[in-house]
Amino acid sequence: MTDSRTRKRAVSHIQRKLIPSYIFLTIMAFLSVFPLFWMFTAATNTTVEVARGKIWFGSHLVENYKALIATDNLWQAMGNSFFYAFVQTIGSLLICSLAGYGFELYHDKGKDRLFAILLLAMMVPQVATLIPLFTMISKLKLLNTVWAFIIPGLSTTFLIMMFRQNSRNFPIDTMEAARIDGLSEIGIFFRMYFPMMKSTYAAAAVITFMGAWNSYMWPRTVMKGNAVKTMPMLVANMSNGYGVDYGMLMLGVLFASLPTIIIFFVLQKQFAEGITGAVK
Amino acid sequence: MKKFVAVLITLCLMLAVSSALADKLTVSAWDAAFNGSALQAAADDYKANVDPDFELEINIVSGSSDVENDMTLAGSSGDYSNLSDIVLFQDHFIQRYVADYPDCWVSLDDAGINWDDFGAEKLSYSTVDGVHYGVPVDNGTAIMAYRVDLLEQCGYTVADMTGITWDKFLEVGKEVYAKTGKALLSMDGSGNDLPYIMLQAEGKSQFKDGKPYITENEDLVKIIKVICEMAKEHVLILANDWTGYVNETVLQDQVAGVMNGNWMIPSMSLVTENSGKWEITTLPTLDGHEGYAANGGSSLYITANCKNLELAKKFLAYTFGGSTETYDNALRKGGVIGCCISAAQSGVYQEGVPFFNGQAIYSKIVEMGAHVPIVEQNDYHYTCRGYIGNAIQEVLMGGDVETALKTAEDQLLFAMGL
Amino acid sequence: MNKKKGFGLLAKQRASGWAFLTPAALLLFLTSFYPMVQAFITSLKTGSSARLKWSEPLFNNYTRMLKDTVFKTSMGNTFLYLIIQVPIMLILAILLAQLLNNKDLKFRGLFRTLIFLPCATSLVSYALIFKTLFAREGLINAMLLSLGIIKENVNWLGTPGTAKAVIIIAMLWRWTGYNMVFYLAGLQNIEYSVYEAANIDGANGWKTFWNVTVPLLRPVIVMTAIMSINGTLQLFDESVNLTAGGPSNTTITMSHYIYNNSLGSGVANFGYASAMSFVVFILVAVLALINMKVGDTRD
Repeated sequence: MTDSRTRKRAVSHIQRKLIPSYIFLTIMAFLSVFPLFWMFTAATNTTVEVARGKIWFGSHLVENYKALIATDNLWQAMGNSFFYAFVQTIGSLLICSLAGYGFELYHDKGKDRLFAILLLAMMVPQVATLIPLFTMISKLKLLNTVWAFIIPGLSTTFLIMMFRQNSRNFPIDTMEAARIDGLSEIGIFFRMYFPMMKSTYAAAAVITFMGAWNSYMWPRTVMKGNAVKTMPMLVANMSNGYGVDYGMLMLGVLFASLPTIIIFFVLQKQFAEGITGAVK
Repeated sequence: MKKFVAVLITLCLMLAVSSALADKLTVSAWDAAFNGSALQAAADDYKANVDPDFELEINIVSGSSDVENDMTLAGSSGDYSNLSDIVLFQDHFIQRYVADYPDCWVSLDDAGINWDDFGAEKLSYSTVDGVHYGVPVDNGTAIMAYRVDLLEQCGYTVADMTGITWDKFLEVGKEVYAKTGKALLSMDGSGNDLPYIMLQAEGKSQFKDGKPYITENEDLVKIIKVICEMAKEHVLILANDWTGYVNETVLQDQVAGVMNGNWMIPSMSLVTENSGKWEITTLPTLDGHEGYAANGGSSLYITANCKNLELAKKFLAYTFGGSTETYDNALRKGGVIGCCISAAQSGVYQEGVPFFNGQAIYSKIVEMGAHVPIVEQNDYHYTCRGYIGNAIQEVLMGGDVETALKTAEDQLLFAMGL
Repeated sequence: MNKKKGFGLLAKQRASGWAFLTPAALLLFLTSFYPMVQAFITSLKTGSSARLKWSEPLFNNYTRMLKDTVFKTSMGNTFLYLIIQVPIMLILAILLAQLLNNKDLKFRGLFRTLIFLPCATSLVSYALIFKTLFAREGLINAMLLSLGIIKENVNWLGTPGTAKAVIIIAMLWRWTGYNMVFYLAGLQNIEYSVYEAANIDGANGWKTFWNVTVPLLRPVIVMTAIMSINGTLQLFDESVNLTAGGPSNTTITMSHYIYNNSLGSGVANFGYASAMSFVVFILVAVLALINMKVGDTRD
């Protein structure tokens, strides 16, 4: 009885000490979310209301949606974006996790040196590679295909690094045991490494999917035509006309942002675990 | 018998056509509501009246600069395979593109278009060494629109404001600001359309004999001074960018006057509570003659990637070459005012427009378009505009006009490698 | 016999190690290094994009940069963003991570998620949102006016100083949460007992932060610093979408100016643009190297 009371007092004492933290975090959370909240409300308002800075919800959502689907093929763009981002995620994860696995678990001097060289790739500015890459893709006759979309992002130093770091948690003994059991090297990767590294894959998937879903400049360069249009292109197309319908535009922005937000919500626990492994 | 032969020929033609792919063309444009609508109108017209199998795929991209980037990418990699059959872009670029990528373009001289039906100024862009490469679509003719009701409060009419000097404009502008709190003019301060429009109304260019003509161009210096003074006196709002211009000045109803290419009209019309209160007229000038200028019109060009040249030429010649149906619907659905003089004789162009106090603005705009003076063009047109815009911003931040313009000229010379 | 077999196995293992990383390494060479080599060759050329010829003298595009006032401005701006934004962001992110790493704190998951959310929005969207918020008649002005902090509407994006500030604020908004997640992860790898020991030693929160947290987080800090430096030196979208580099090029970044010289304003000057991007590449690499050396605790 007394014990529980002191504990309660202790708890309330701790909570009292945390009040500044709560206040600070609440302010930061508010600042982070407010622009997104405004995106939601703007999607329900008319152009003039959005331009005049109305904060609260309006009654124009249905009209905005009708205008949006009349202007452009929203669901096709959603489908395209989803397909490209999905293929990109699968491809990048496979290639980069294999490399990270190879770099860490089979590491020797040569591989470490190669890795140091590959780190340089992270610093190559995108503006510089745009035109040579375009020429390459066009020579390979891959323009307007999913390949054009994914090739530049299939192998990224960041992902390789992430898998390489995480692989340190993978016990070498298990590998030896598996070899004795007669598992091939690639078999070890798929049967043992893959299931054990689930949270790393989740974190990498979130980052890659977000990047692919939101990428604009490169897809815009190699993907032409309505059949291959993605969500960021659709939004950009609507935002640059001579007269912009802001209510409709913000609804488009909302559609373009929701999938990544949902994916983060769904995978956030694994995401946090995967990142934790990466920075060990 | 004759009928039978005709039917037979048509059938054969149709078979030939359907076996040689569909009658399909692709086109790139950048504003679904504006030039997208105009192209749709043309496609519907051609389909209904010429070729029922015709199909036009309109690729909307995010801005005219996207079409231009596609051209640069395709031209520099030597791969035209990703271009649309027909592309729409701003008039200032074709001269450079023909010089840089000559094999990318198709002459339209044999398309059977009556070129005399278009204004000379408009055609001066798309004609290179006497060869016609483009079919004009929208007319960039600049309008000066005033709020009649607000002018009235200060004791002026639109007639009083026609054929005036910029000094007079400034004087009226101060009164309007004092009495109504609204600016008589606003503009996108980064796109710097304003000095270009004003200079063209004087019949001058920012270039002379292929070189920048800035510090020694007295008219330009005067214009920059007028602009800066107007901005300081609240007669002119210079927005930070295009969105700011449309949003903050026009949609938020901060202005009593709008001067820009006539493609501005659809945006102005969004503020429905001001319907009937506007009227348009010609532009003020330095010496008070009626000014005419054009800004931002575009034309359609056939690219080397087009597999069906005959169809593309026929389509362009029939529709934007002078079809009243195309032009009427482009105007009705997209607010696109064409440059074809004969097509502007039709009913729609003569109609009074309620938003503009019943004034028949469309025919007036086409008529004004015929007076726009031809001025020297240059590949570095937009680069130059950028630097002049910077100069204005520098003056407004406290710099002096001569130094700012000198900087602009030096930077432009540097960019041009002169 | 036995020995030979063992050796074969080892060789096989080593070979499979190389096989695993080959696709990724090849792709990186193809999509990053090969284009960079091409960019270098282009940087020695001049003329219109379709008919490039060797420049005369060969390094003309590089010497040209020294005379280019806009390039110098863009470089100054980029470094300004780097010097102000990166430290503020990283410190704020560590601070947030530190606060969220407290076991007694309630709603930790919720706070973490909300603060991370901005980086899920696409660039196109977030630029639009910020532009509208900071517009002359926008919400920020309306709020500050009603609070009496300002007397008349501030033209945030139209004045050089405030426009730079808005760019920095926008970047802070988008990326602080992202970095925070990395720090939070780093902190979770630190044993809680280390803190308890520090507490027993009587260190206050601030001292613990500097003397315990920051050193233990060093590897993560190096990683996030490299990522942020890289991102900021290549800053492009914010400059293009928020201010278009204006007013009067006072906010333009290097990448933006390079883009304007290659695509963008209709006059494609690939040679010069490539030379400038090569300079950016070297700058980033040098800074990253310094960072790694400073952050390396081993020697």
